[in-house]
Amino acid sequence: MNPEAFLFWFLSIVTVSAGLAVVLLTNPIYAALSLAMTMVGVAAVFVTLNAYFLAGVQLIVYAGAVMVLFVMVLMLFDLKAEIQAFSRGNLSGFLKIGSVAMLGGLIIGAIVMSSNSLLGNNLPDLVVEADGSKQLGKLLFSKYLFGFEALGVLLMVVAVGAVALARSKGGTHAKH
Amino acid sequence: MGTDVFQIAVNCIKLVIVFLLMVQAVPLLVWLERRGSAFIQNRFGPNRVGPLGLLQLLADAVKFLFKEEFVPANAVKFLYYAAPVAALVPATLAFAAIPLSTPVSVDAFEMFGQTWGPYTFLWQGYEINVGIVYVLGVSSLAAYSILMAGWGSGNKFSLMGALRASSQIISYELALGLSIVGVIMMYGTFNLTEMIAQQQGTLSFQFLGHTITSSWLPNWGIFYQPLGALIFFAATFAESNRLPFDLAEGEAELVAGFHVEYGGFKMLLFFIGEYGHMLVASALMATFFFGGWGIPFVGVAEVQAWAATVVGAGTSASLLTGLVHFMVFTLKLAIFLWIFIHVRWTLPRFRYDQLMELGWKTMLPWALFNTVLTSIIFLIAHS
Amino acid sequence: MLNTDIFTQIGLNHYLFLSAILFVIGMAGVLLRRNAIVLLMSIELMLNAVNISFVAFSKYSGKMEGQIMVFFVMTIAAAEAAVGLALAVTIFKRFREVNIRFFEHLKG
Repeated sequence: MNPEAFLFWFLSIVTVSAGLAVVLLTNPIYAALSLAMTMVGVAAVFVTLNAYFLAGVQLIVYAGAVMVLFVMVLMLFDLKAEIQAFSRGNLSGFLKIGSVAMLGGLIIGAIVMSSNSLLGNNLPDLVVEADGSKQLGKLLFSKYLFGFEALGVLLMVVAVGAVALARSKGGTHAKH
Repeated sequence: MGTDVFQIAVNCIKLVIVFLLMVQAVPLLVWLERRGSAFIQNRFGPNRVGPLGLLQLLADAVKFLFKEEFVPANAVKFLYYAAPVAALVPATLAFAAIPLSTPVSVDAFEMFGQTWGPYTFLWQGYEINVGIVYVLGVSSLAAYSILMAGWGSGNKFSLMGALRASSQIISYELALGLSIVGVIMMYGTFNLTEMIAQQQGTLSFQFLGHTITSSWLPNWGIFYQPLGALIFFAATFAESNRLPFDLAEGEAELVAGFHVEYGGFKMLLFFIGEYGHMLVASALMATFFFGGWGIPFVGVAEVQAWAATVVGAGTSASLLTGLVHFMVFTLKLAIFLWIFIHVRWTLPRFRYDQLMELGWKTMLPWALFNTVLTSIIFLIAHS
Repeated sequence: MLNTDIFTQIGLNHYLFLSAILFVIGMAGVLLRRNAIVLLMSIELMLNAVNISFVAFSKYSGKMEGQIMVFFVMTIAAAEAAVGLALAVTIFKRFREVNIRFFEHLKG
């Protein structure tokens, strides 16, 4: 077994089991911590795909900021284990699981069927250099500059909106 | 990791040694902190065990090991035990990525009837091309261990301390990240080794087509990025939860914050984590702004020539060069660590709202200003 | 002799499968869980799964565009998390719980 394959299988087992834990654990804090684990796993997967810069950003943005926010909010709420973590009703539950399974089957079927027409067999030579971050930056600030600026505006709007929401006294549902 | 058995073995041993270096620095730092604080406050400090009280570390370690194992009744067991271990991880991972000295080149040699080499070994756990991003990313994971400890202890004071600490870490991470954007722009790389290489020699830069050189200043980042250096250093105080930013612990209001319920060896692990953060911060400060392992006014080639006259050219000369540079790096590290300790025993603690205001309304705008200013100057200088 | 190539030769398909599995797990979380914050986390999981396939395509087709997309997705995800958490905090202030059924009261 070559190291590359070992790394892939190890990381995918860690990531998938942490992902399962997010959905299955009834204590939301454990769920959030395992989601953080998933994020770290995904960052490691990025490293195996030579996207070093993105792996770092993934760590900083997701694992370092977004998930810490989630965990902090959960701890402030002090929810402990939930009484009713999953949705009610056997029938709707089966329907939901069934639809999820169908979606999974569809995606995997699509991958298998298109694996020949995808770049699967005739891989082009990898032009991505070892240090792709320079390339990434050049592309981001030339071809995709408009999208980048739009993202900036979006973040601004979201920051204002989030603050306004969190500070509001409940809007139409305010307790007087 | 390497291509053959020898290289892989050396690299693995190196990882362990870098880890031990960090862990072993902690008792020394604790001693320095206690003696230093005593010196500042005009008292003696621990001076009974061994010469200068140096063996106090051993006594402390034994004490920590034999303390009673205590779990609070309200604790969430898993998180309570996982938190101290998690506290150790970020600092360790970050420290391993910092270059400590010049690479050592080993000439080809014979062993077990086989020719090995030549190799080049780096004085660091592992080299990463996007070093800065990696270090920032890994050290941002520190918030989890604090949150886990605060929640896991099942104690209101702990939780309050943990929430304060983690919001502080998130807030100051912004200023921290922005303050080194100027540095990244200046060196044009994320790689820490390349940064150090660019800081060798005396101060010289290009401005509007003129080359400006100085004969008595080293080519260090601090002369190009004084504001960035200041903000970076201040933000690292907050990141490592040291005074004047140790609101998380605030003895007066929160007893001891997130680690109230911890004792014995688990407490020690938190300690190692905090000192590890200090070490990483000092090492980064030296790397970004003070030439890393570089010796001012003396180039690597000169040191190598001197080493060759002492122990003869080849592997041993290269090793000696590495050692000399490592000592220089340690010296720089020690200076910054002393500043950390000195500040802790000199300045009072901020109030929580003052802390947040400083982070968001002072340091963040100034870091942003530094970034914009640096890019404008670059645009003018290279036009 | 069993063919073990599928375990040792890691290619694009492996990463796509990993991404698909994570996406489906996230989807199941969105459909099954009742806690609004866990719902948000499941959405983050789905976005991450998509990111994996973007980066995998980027590597195996030798183009940087995939990584740019990941960059955008990350920003959007962070923004979404901020707004979602703010909503959850508002709901919690009012009802002392973050069960998804309380979001029904949000209309007008």
